[in-house]
Amino acid sequence: MAEQLLDQVRDVAEGQIDFEGQKLVELLVNVTLALTGVVSFLVGYILQDIKLALQIGLAGTALTFILVVPPWPFYNRNPVKWLQVGGGLVPPQSLIVDEKSFR
Amino acid sequence: MLSGLANPRQAAVQLMNFGLILSTAFMMWKGISVITDSPSPIVVVLSGSMEPAFQRGDLLFLWNRNVLAETSVGEIVVYNVKGKDIPIVHRIVRKFGKGPEAKLLTKGDNNVSDDTELYASGQDYLVRNDIIGSVFAYIPFVGYVTILLSEHPWLKTVMLGLMGLVVVLQRE
Amino acid sequence: MYTSVVRLQNVFGFFTTVAFVVAAFIAASDFLTERAPIVRTLKTTSVQVVRGRPHYYSSKKEEYAVINFSLDADLSSLFTWNTKQVFVYVTAEWPAADHAKTNATNEAVIWDTIITSPSADHLANIGPVAMKKLRKSAGGKSIDPNRGKLSLKNQRHKYKITHPSGKLAMTDNVTLRLHYNVQPWVGLLTWDQDVDYGYWKALKNGVSKRFKLPAIKEKKPASAGAR
Repeated sequence: MAEQLLDQVRDVAEGQIDFEGQKLVELLVNVTLALTGVVSFLVGYILQDIKLALQIGLAGTALTFILVVPPWPFYNRNPVKWLQVGGGLVPPQSLIVDEKSFR
Repeated sequence: MLSGLANPRQAAVQLMNFGLILSTAFMMWKGISVITDSPSPIVVVLSGSMEPAFQRGDLLFLWNRNVLAETSVGEIVVYNVKGKDIPIVHRIVRKFGKGPEAKLLTKGDNNVSDDTELYASGQDYLVRNDIIGSVFAYIPFVGYVTILLSEHPWLKTVMLGLMGLVVVLQRE
Repeated sequence: MYTSVVRLQNVFGFFTTVAFVVAAFIAASDFLTERAPIVRTLKTTSVQVVRGRPHYYSSKKEEYAVINFSLDADLSSLFTWNTKQVFVYVTAEWPAADHAKTNATNEAVIWDTIITSPSADHLANIGPVAMKKLRKSAGGKSIDPNRGKLSLKNQRHKYKITHPSGKLAMTDNVTLRLHYNVQPWVGLLTWDQDVDYGYWKALKNGVSKRFKLPAIKEKKPASAGAR
């Protein structure tokens, strides 16, 4: 019972997203943060206002966090289609596979 | 973690990696120390005596070589006083003479009086040797974490708790 | 596994990189802004040497030089978006006793002031009324180069100066010199310079005429609080 509950909590806390979602996240992080940096510098330099530059930078970063950290539904639109259980060969138990590529 | 225990080679690799990170950080610190000739080339501001120039938590980069000119009046220096652990960041306001024997007096921009009171008893002036570097570059705020952690020890507990939570909630 | 924790770490990691790069650009932008500070006048208006004690409980008598001055300077080009404050100070400089042999000098600050940028006004150590006035003076602008225009007439010294030997009267070849220290929000601290570097011009005319300290004025100073 407790194990099940913990599993549910883990599911929520983990916030998994699918492979396509991961690709999208990577792109979004790079684009939004880099854009934030460029915009904050240019606006700050042109208006000669360093406070505004700081605010733009922090706002853009906060936005990126909100956009990327929670497992929003649009990151889970392409769930992996696993093979049927018991359908094929059973891999040997002692085999150690690099965690990332295995999952 | 558990897989590391099951496989001693992997555990050893992890240990080596950890050691590598530590020794790299240490070597970089010592390398900068050698380049700047300062035992502590990067310091965090701990007091408000240089406000509004420096706030608590700001990061200062020090340079301790006199390549082109001697350390002179107007420079902001970090100095040690005999018998006191904490280095002080203040501005030189008087300099009498030249070379390693020159007498230097410092004062915090935000303080009413000069530092005579802060020096060791019987000491009226600093000499060049008391100084561990002149401030040449500045980054605001990033050192504040160290102040938070040293002044609010319960934050360390909170951080440990958070790390534990992450470990519990992560599947192996 | 690409979990929320991992994403949090990655975003934070890239954020620090971006913040560092932007900060480096801000610091570098200083070098593209012209600096041409000039001093129009810097001269003494009254020079005295008085006897006093270093502090109330001291029995030691020392000679103190009391120098008042006039200053007209334009440091407005030092104020850019990355300027946090400019520390302006006037020093008196005179040759040391062994000057002929070693070229050694003595130098002491007689007056200083902190000019904050509007972006750093909230940090200034002043009372609430003065703070209100200071903020109002910026008129909502993000930078206020006009603050760099200094016009002081017969400015009272802030620090009486002395010498470790306790002797100062009749010292010759004393000069006043204006200095400044630009404190950035991020990047390199810079001081007044004697030669031009790129867009940054040397401080012009920042030294006063040579003058001689007079003999001791035999009158007890109202307060011997020179420290």
